[in-house]
Amino acid sequence: MTQYFFYFLSFLAIFFAALVVLSKNPVHSVLYLILCFFSIAGHYILLNAQFLAAVHIIVYAGAIMVLFLFVLMLMNLNRDSEPPKSWQGKVAATLAAGLLLLVFTASIKGADALPSGNQPDNTVGLLTNLGKTLYNDFMLPFEVSSILFLVAMVGAVMIGKREEVSE
Amino acid sequence: MNQVLTAAPLSHYVLLSSILFSIGVLGVLFRRNAIIIFMCIELMLNAVNLLLAAFSVHHSDPSGQVFVFFIMAVAAAEVAVGLAILIMIYRNTGSINIETLSNIRH
Amino acid sequence: MSTPADYLPILLQFIAALGFVVLTIGATHLLGPKRHTNVKNETFECGIESVGNARVPFSIKYFLVAILFVLFDVEVIFMYPWAVNFKSLGVRGLIEMFMFMSLLLLGFFYIIKKGALKWE
Repeated sequence: MTQYFFYFLSFLAIFFAALVVLSKNPVHSVLYLILCFFSIAGHYILLNAQFLAAVHIIVYAGAIMVLFLFVLMLMNLNRDSEPPKSWQGKVAATLAAGLLLLVFTASIKGADALPSGNQPDNTVGLLTNLGKTLYNDFMLPFEVSSILFLVAMVGAVMIGKREEVSE
Repeated sequence: MNQVLTAAPLSHYVLLSSILFSIGVLGVLFRRNAIIIFMCIELMLNAVNLLLAAFSVHHSDPSGQVFVFFIMAVAAAEVAVGLAILIMIYRNTGSINIETLSNIRH
Repeated sequence: MSTPADYLPILLQFIAALGFVVLTIGATHLLGPKRHTNVKNETFECGIESVGNARVPFSIKYFLVAILFVLFDVEVIFMYPWAVNFKSLGVRGLIEMFMFMSLLLLGFFYIIKKGALKWE
């Protein structure tokens, strides 16, 4: 039963990801990316990583993609902002991405034989376990991430705030 | 095969993630709209997130999923600063086509 | 102990919600009579003739608020694992979170000080 869900969700994720790249209208791209993120959240649920699924939807579909949509709405969509690329560029892009995929697939041959380090445990994705790991083993990265947030806030305000002097 | 990964073997997760990542790379190379390029970077980050979560479940080790939180934090910070820069560029040049952005060099 | 199977009701609800929307919209589309006239197909805007199209860029005033919202939204997800483990983490967890929040509050005060949330 779950196998079919996995393949169905994988198909949806890849299909919508391809549509993000191929659709002409940027707003459609944003909407397809949201659908793609929803199917990735489905994957997280299949992996029994429920908190991750919830957070993924809240952060990506709820905040980041809304911000993208918002920024798109600020811009003028009437004008054709994207002239078509030359066919050489398209061929080169496709070739490069295809070769990258080839390298990836060649390197994963032995993935199934990898030993699973610990005792099989179905509860790793639960909120309690994640919290214990985050606040005991990953204390320093957690504090450093707050500095990252601080810097991002200051950066966004510095860049985005319109200066009154120059008006 | 591990009993914990019920839906599919690990190699299928790796394959799915690498396909999603390659689509992201394709989008970055293919498109000229800077916002679409940003979205493709998000897609690549998500492919890596999915892979981290799959490996975390495979190893029964929550660290992988904690990494995903940090990647989300980095993604949010990146989007915040990146979109602020994009809006400033749009205000000043009236375009978000990356070909016009290369004029900044001169 | 929860498994992916426990999420089946949520999936069913998604299907029911989507099915309801598709069914009602599809049914009204199929059942209703269709009489198109030029006047009827026009965009209706309180009786005033519409000018231009809907794809005009709108004001940028909000965008800094939206950007800062994303940052604080991601910050909040770090608090759920902390809140669940509050008792077992003890005083150390409290100190960790205080350090985290104090740096974020510093950023918040900077934002307020700069007037980034003000309506220009």
